[in-house]
Amino acid sequence: MLKGFTSIVVKELKELIRDPKILIGMIVLPLIMFPVLGMVLGYAAETAQSEALKSNLLVVDNDNSPWSSTFVSYLSSSMNVIIVNNTTPQQVVDQGLLAQHDSTMFLVIPQGFGENLTQHAAGAYDITGTVNMYAAFNGGGGIFSGFGGSSVTVLVEGFNRIVAPDLVMSSQSSIIKGQIQEGIDASLLSSLLLSQSIVLPVAVLMMLIFAMQIAATSVAMEKEEKTLETLLTVPVDRFAILMGKVSSTIIVAGVAAVTVLIGYNFMLDSMMTGLAGNLTAGLDLVALGLVPSTFGYVLLGLSLFFTLLSALALAVVMSAFSENVRGAQALVGYLYPLIFIPSMALIYLDINSLPIALRAVFYAIPYSQPIIASQAVITGDYLTVIFGIVYVALFTVAIMYVASRLFATEKILTAKLAIGKRGNKKQQNE
Amino acid sequence: MSLAVEAVSLTKQFGQITALHGITFSIKPGEIFGLIGPNGAGKTTTIRMVCTIIKPTSGSIRIFGYDSDRQAEKARQILTYLPEESGAYPNLTGWEYLNFMAKLQAQPGTDIKAVVAEAAEICGLGDRLKDKAKTYSKGMKRRLLVARALMTRPKLAVLDEPASGLDVMHAYHIRETVKRYAREHGVTILLSSHNMLEVEYLCDRVALINKGQLVMEGTPKELKTKYNSENLEEVFAKVVGYA
Repeated sequence: MLKGFTSIVVKELKELIRDPKILIGMIVLPLIMFPVLGMVLGYAAETAQSEALKSNLLVVDNDNSPWSSTFVSYLSSSMNVIIVNNTTPQQVVDQGLLAQHDSTMFLVIPQGFGENLTQHAAGAYDITGTVNMYAAFNGGGGIFSGFGGSSVTVLVEGFNRIVAPDLVMSSQSSIIKGQIQEGIDASLLSSLLLSQSIVLPVAVLMMLIFAMQIAATSVAMEKEEKTLETLLTVPVDRFAILMGKVSSTIIVAGVAAVTVLIGYNFMLDSMMTGLAGNLTAGLDLVALGLVPSTFGYVLLGLSLFFTLLSALALAVVMSAFSENVRGAQALVGYLYPLIFIPSMALIYLDINSLPIALRAVFYAIPYSQPIIASQAVITGDYLTVIFGIVYVALFTVAIMYVASRLFATEKILTAKLAIGKRGNKKQQNE
Repeated sequence: MSLAVEAVSLTKQFGQITALHGITFSIKPGEIFGLIGPNGAGKTTTIRMVCTIIKPTSGSIRIFGYDSDRQAEKARQILTYLPEESGAYPNLTGWEYLNFMAKLQAQPGTDIKAVVAEAAEICGLGDRLKDKAKTYSKGMKRRLLVARALMTRPKLAVLDEPASGLDVMHAYHIRETVKRYAREHGVTILLSSHNMLEVEYLCDRVALINKGQLVMEGTPKELKTKYNSENLEEVFAKVVGYA
């Protein structure tokens, strides 16, 4: 072990942990972020649901009773309803009736619906009518498509309010890749996919930015307070100083990452609870391309780790060119577009559908890798993830080499980037 | 016996700018040597070179026989450095700071607790050492840092403006500490200061740097006699052309 390494790591950790700005930025903020994102996603789902009410609804009336006609009439007052009779759900799917009628969902009124309602009206309150909503869930194209299915709840509640409480019950099922998954709420699947494709990239983005800020501030503070100058004269390997800084930042960023993942898992878990009852029915979320496999999670973790390490090393190198904390933060800020652009773009774009030149640009930016990985592990494209990890690891080695060279020479004190009006004469003269 | 510091024909170039033009001086072991000069004269550059942080463009420095460039690791084992206006780590307590630096500065096998206890005695901050450094006044911080530079009893302590900008009480404490410590433990001190009273009081010998050149060297008494002046301030003014 390098002499002084442990002491430097412990010192750095104490300095970082006791800084209230770090505590707020790395721990408190991620914990607030998820409820806020949850609210945003909730709003998005609500909007999608109300949009769904404006679209076509295919109603399969297999009861053909006065009650079912009343119910359909009620539905027609809110939505554009197309009626078919005596058809099974599988036939609707197989015959492509949804596409024919430009709809993404259909409601089945089963046989016996009217009879049940008549009995209920006569006083047998434990007997209710049930309608089944089937919503097409198209994970690849429209994340929000599944939300339409939940509009049945609103419709049934409205009907019950007018006629009698608890008269009609509803159940929801999904159509995934042409297969009917009974009892699976498509809107929950949409929420799940939404969290995979939006929440994770945003969390990665935040973590990278905070970690870089910490590393840059740490080096710049040492320069500003001239404690770095003192450290450079003590009999310890300068690589230990560099590694001490990078390691402690990784530890703090790691804690922050755990906080982020706890919040993220909490979100996923609450969605999974809704699905849990049906998982025993044999729904394989991994095979359906909705969640990563365990191996996928491991690769995603590795991709995150190496990207974080390279971002930290680069922040250390860049901050070495500044004189003070403000300068370091501004310099590191120049890297943010490289983090923001891939994170934001890849939320909406499928990297494989981009022109080859643009795809190459995205692959070349190391900070794209965790986002690309988060998509690739879901589709099971592990080779892309592994390639990304190797690429970022090589990039990190190169940056660490530059950083160690910088720390080994007087450039760590004298190097300065002349940006704008800032000259480089002041330091040289003293 | 080898010299504590032997600087020969030091030059330093920063791009197009020449900060030092062939400076030569030497410091004997146990001596308190003062480096004076106007702002931008090249004092800090000289000091940083002695402390092995930057390399001379040409010329050489030997610290107790060790070459500051090729044997920098060896030199760092016997010297300590206090940069001008340096701070401590704001979120560490005084104790933690001293403990951290003692572990880095001290030779393997040194009793770190004893070193830190010595530093506590030197700085005289008492119970305030339990507080975070960010709560210290400038004077307290400087006392902490001077104690840090002396606690391991280095062979050479380089102090850049040790009492600059401090009130009388703290400045007095620091000057007394430096003088006493150097005498009691035979620590060689290289000191830079703008306070001529301080230099005259503390230093056995003084060198004046102006525009990157060493323009005079001697004991305060010799210099005052040579320039027919009452004090070093007058000598300084005459040499750099203010008087």
